[in-house]
Amino acid sequence: MPIDLPPSERMTSGHLACPGCGAAIAMRFVLKGLGDRVVMVIPACCWSIIAGPFPYTALKVPVLHTAFETGGAVASGIRAALDVKGDHETQVVTWAGDGGTFDIGLQSLSGAAERGEDILYVCYDNEAYMNTGVQGSGATPEGAWTTTTPTGSPKATRKKDIMQIMAAHAIPYAATASIAYPEDLVRKVQKAASIRGTKFLHIFATCPTGWKVPSEVSVGLARLAVQTRIFPLYEVEDGERYTINVEPKGYLVDAYFKAQGRFKHLTAEDLERIQERVDHGWSRLEALARIA
Amino acid sequence: MRRVVEGSHAVSHAVDLARVRVISAYPITPQTHIVERLAELVADGVLDARFIRVESEHSAMAAVIGAASAGVRSFTASSSHGLALMHEMLHWAAGARLPIVMAEVNRAMGPGWNIWADQTDSLSQRDTGWLQFYCEDVQDVIDTILIAYRVAERVSLPVMVVLDAFFLSHTYEPADLPEHADVDEFLPPWEPVEVLDPAEPRAFNQLASPEFYMEFRHKMQQAMDEALAAYPEIDRAFAARFGRTHPLVEHIPAEDGARAPLALVTTGTITSTARAALAELRDRGTPVDLVKLRALRPFPQDEIRRVLGPYGRVAVIDRNLSFGYGGIFAQEIRAALSSLADRPVVYPFVAGLGGRDVTPDTVRAVVDRALDDEPPGDILWAGLKE
Amino acid sequence: MSPVTLRTSRDLPPTSRSLDTMEWNHTGSWRFLRPRYQDKVAPCAEACPAGEDIARVQMLLAQGAFDRAWLRIREENPFPGVCGRVCSHPCEAACNRGEFDAPVSINSLERFVADHARRQGLAPPPAEPADSGRHVAVVGAGPAGLTAAHFLRRAGHDVTVFDAREEPGGLLRYAIPAYRMPAEPLAWETGLVMSGGVRFQPGRRLGEDLGWDELSRFDAVLVAVGHWAPAPLGVDGEDLAVDGLALLEDVRRGRPPEVGGRVAVIGGGNTAVDVARTLLRLGAEPVVYYRRRLRDMPALPGEVAELREEGIEIQTLLAPARIAARDDGGLDLALTPMAVLDEDGGQRPRVVPSGHPEIAVAVSAVVTAIGARPSPGTPAAGLDPDGSEAVALHLRRIRPRGEWAERPPVFLAGDLVNQNRTVVAAIASGKEAAVVIDAALRDRALGDAWSAIRVGRKGAVSLNRLAGGDRAFRLDHVVRYDDLNTIYFQYLERKKRPRITLDERRTGFDEVHLRISASLALSEAERCFHCGQCDHCDNCYLFCPEVSVRRDPRAETRQIDYDYCKGCGVCVVECPRSAMVLEEEPR
Ligand SMILES: Cc1ncc(C[n+]2csc(CCOP(=O)(O)OP(=O)(O)O)c2C)c(N)n1
Ligand code: SF4
Ligand SMILES: [Mg+2]
Repeated sequence: MPIDLPPSERMTSGHLACPGCGAAIAMRFVLKGLGDRVVMVIPACCWSIIAGPFPYTALKVPVLHTAFETGGAVASGIRAALDVKGDHETQVVTWAGDGGTFDIGLQSLSGAAERGEDILYVCYDNEAYMNTGVQGSGATPEGAWTTTTPTGSPKATRKKDIMQIMAAHAIPYAATASIAYPEDLVRKVQKAASIRGTKFLHIFATCPTGWKVPSEVSVGLARLAVQTRIFPLYEVEDGERYTINVEPKGYLVDAYFKAQGRFKHLTAEDLERIQERVDHGWSRLEALARIA
Repeated sequence: MRRVVEGSHAVSHAVDLARVRVISAYPITPQTHIVERLAELVADGVLDARFIRVESEHSAMAAVIGAASAGVRSFTASSSHGLALMHEMLHWAAGARLPIVMAEVNRAMGPGWNIWADQTDSLSQRDTGWLQFYCEDVQDVIDTILIAYRVAERVSLPVMVVLDAFFLSHTYEPADLPEHADVDEFLPPWEPVEVLDPAEPRAFNQLASPEFYMEFRHKMQQAMDEALAAYPEIDRAFAARFGRTHPLVEHIPAEDGARAPLALVTTGTITSTARAALAELRDRGTPVDLVKLRALRPFPQDEIRRVLGPYGRVAVIDRNLSFGYGGIFAQEIRAALSSLADRPVVYPFVAGLGGRDVTPDTVRAVVDRALDDEPPGDILWAGLKE
Repeated sequence: MSPVTLRTSRDLPPTSRSLDTMEWNHTGSWRFLRPRYQDKVAPCAEACPAGEDIARVQMLLAQGAFDRAWLRIREENPFPGVCGRVCSHPCEAACNRGEFDAPVSINSLERFVADHARRQGLAPPPAEPADSGRHVAVVGAGPAGLTAAHFLRRAGHDVTVFDAREEPGGLLRYAIPAYRMPAEPLAWETGLVMSGGVRFQPGRRLGEDLGWDELSRFDAVLVAVGHWAPAPLGVDGEDLAVDGLALLEDVRRGRPPEVGGRVAVIGGGNTAVDVARTLLRLGAEPVVYYRRRLRDMPALPGEVAELREEGIEIQTLLAPARIAARDDGGLDLALTPMAVLDEDGGQRPRVVPSGHPEIAVAVSAVVTAIGARPSPGTPAAGLDPDGSEAVALHLRRIRPRGEWAERPPVFLAGDLVNQNRTVVAAIASGKEAAVVIDAALRDRALGDAWSAIRVGRKGAVSLNRLAGGDRAFRLDHVVRYDDLNTIYFQYLERKKRPRITLDERRTGFDEVHLRISASLALSEAERCFHCGQCDHCDNCYLFCPEVSVRRDPRAETRQIDYDYCKGCGVCVVECPRSAMVLEEEPR
């Protein structure tokens, strides 16, 4: 069955993403799902570069570029301004990297979510600070090489579970999505856009440059992350109702890790430990989905 | 309408008069009364605006940046640590050329924790591209908020309206609260040129390479120059409607038609103390002229040279300190006067840090020191324990 | 699109904001790998001896373009209605879908298309005039001869087909039972060959009604008369047995023999199965005796299965030893129990007498179906082994020596030369004959052209490729399962062919298999992966991070805009069906 996405195209050619950039693919899909009543906020991240320098833009929606940690707050301000102007239709969308979401921007995101701001916050997760040259972030997975978690001492701790954090805010809608599952992704964007209140979308977006993988596997690797249950696709409504959207085949994690330069130092024992964690995370998610 | 109002509430009511549509703020003593009253005004439907109860000052500034970028008149208020936390976004607001107005209650920076008056917080934000206006009394606060919006929207730069902690923020004074209709005439709705608008999609604030960045900064400087040039006209318009004038540099000679041997320069509420102390000194035969300085940025250099140039001695009282150098207004004044061949000797006093009272006695001590035969020095501490 | 020019400070807005899009920036200059659309050979097409462009046909079917699908098949094979019924369909064994769930029912779909065409009365494009000035004689109107005739005629030659029998079709008409190959669809397809301009001369048996003097007047001769003579059993009483092929021919000529009671059928090939099932329908009680095991039977597994469904017994590891007449008019058949001698993984194991005592069965008749040979009188039968030489996979040419040196070139095709005597191999043989004879008549050496017109590595030939048609540019790479991005495919059940009831099967010669419905055909065709064919799924377009895949308004073609393509290669990997390649950027 061919993939069916809205035909609209609000990202232009000529942008500055690296070849095969998952963040570019993710942006394209999200814009397809959003329609034209959109204002976008982009805090510092790769997309600050990708979108192009003055006097250009690669996005055919209004974009406010802003400081790194302000995604939640700036969007709240725009929402308020549109509301007082009587415009309740335009979606205010924050488009932030994992660093701008999990780390430095977590506070302003949390504030916006707690206030129930009517915004859609999209985090495209490439699992490190890529704009600044691949430094470790709260989204960097355990065992990964980054320039600040070098091979001699790769990241020892686990990736922050941003979805749990967002679910704990009891926002009406939070969902994970992947560039490898465009229909699921676009459906989630559309669903989010149809809900009033704070919506959070966590999109897995391969970074060939930072992960040390060939550009052509960008989408395939994202798919593998889903199929290995490393990055399951699910939704959480009102912080409670969990729904798993894609039933993963449950491949062993090895294929995913071995494909990437950033994990090449991992030993068989490391992978075993990670497998256990992934299995555990999956059972937990399944249990949550059962409760719902 | 004449009413007795608290300084903080004066800010709130002026914001209402200015028909601000988005307010975002985070509480910090001594700014709290401002935002509490605003929250009430919004909640009661008096002020038709959205109040965004953010989780930090950084976000407060970020939120009003968002709101102003969408073309809506916006306001925030903060103080001290809150202002310091905003620092990054102060640059962003100015660089984005957004006419945001904020009330900033001057309060000391910790540690140790100190909630009392001290200007070092706002003066530390000198180079962010904000205009800064310092207020003397409650009336000044009301009027300055209104003037600030008019100036900000004229030159597309944000303005900080500064008032001293407690001495002004928590002081009740009778003041004239203008009518909405009059304010509407003085301050018509803001008509931004370009805003975030799905009908006309544009990117704002994106990467500016060395090829263009400097021009953008040059344009900010030009806007500051324009603000300086336009201020008298705006002030006249204000005076014409409300009968009060607020020049950036106010010259108050002790005796009409005569120049005293010393001019004392003050900012904020110290001016009121100085007015009383100098009146008494004049009556006792020691005339000292008073110069009230209202703006840090844009700095009214010409006006400073014109007013202070002819004096033999100028004393400046700074309720602030740039560590390793001295009082900040004194530096600015000295720098402005330096281009004059024949220039006054500047006596740079630092007084009242962290809320220490600057009393008429302090003013008298300052005058005594400025008139004695000792050389001026780089910092003259007033009211410091032995 | 050119970059905005901002010369003076006055041209600049107050601060950073966009005045134009990034499209001035031709990121194609970043590229060092270049993706390209490139159709490849599907494994089914490679496996089809007739070189049918199966994956493309399936794609047309899936789009509901039944007419075009039929024309596509006929580009390579004039007999889809025949092959859709009796082909051994090696394509299905090669189908990549087999590794995923179950192969696509290619054979049923072919039958569907052919029946569709016949019901709709579709007509192939009219033949060009036969203006080459060359004349070709084809002896034998079986699948090999008719295929050769058809393509030679389309190549512009004047072609005459001679056959000993009165109707064209050979085995298809006179041996394969009607419940498998009914007369009507065959007649329609042979009729199309004739209406395409091929002359047919029935009743001309080579060596009897057709002599070499007459054939020598042609510019080339193709002999494809098949194998009609029974192979000898080599046992006592052999002459008491009936020849299976002759029996089948009698039935198809409407002269069924009187049979009843238990009839022994000797053999394990398709003819044996056909004979046994025919006998059943005639009211007898056939038993098949085969000298090897069930699994060694060369007959198509599907045919064997249907035979057993119909209740026919197969006795294995029994070889005929003797046939003797009995007083009651019946026969005694003695059978030697056999044992498998060695099982070295080879095709069929050797068997030897097991040493157990002979078994005797009383039967009303014994029918042999252990293989056929060229009829006496065909030149190939009389030639010594090096009397001819291979000129293609399924084609031999008689050595131009002695008497043959004086004659026009004579080629042998079909069962006369094929190891594997299937209908589709005969068709393949006919195609090769057409290619070779056309080249010979035009004094054109084929040489390298052979490799250019092959489909994959198994020897099939594509006439579309020969003609430089739209499918000529398929890359020779055969798409393997691992080349596919199977995540985009869902498990779908293979559609079963509907059949008439068992009772109907046991008592009459109605076609066992029914035609599948159009909706079933559509959904079965949708199961096809379309290996190596762009089917406009648009994955390339959708996943392109550069928005640099362009579609025409009707979305029928895709183009990569190399002004922007950075060569990331995502499109190539995300192509579900391996219809793209990623190559080094030419410098
Ligand atoms: C306050 C502040 N600290 C640091 C930076 C530098 N900085 C800019 S982008 C970035 C990394 C962004 O990482 P992430 O949000 O994951 O987005 P990515 O670049 O990976 O797309 C950093 C550290 C900044 N712009 N602002
Ligand atoms: S560094 Fe990674 S995320 Fe950033 S543009 Fe390149 S590929 Fe995309
Ligand atoms: Mg990142």
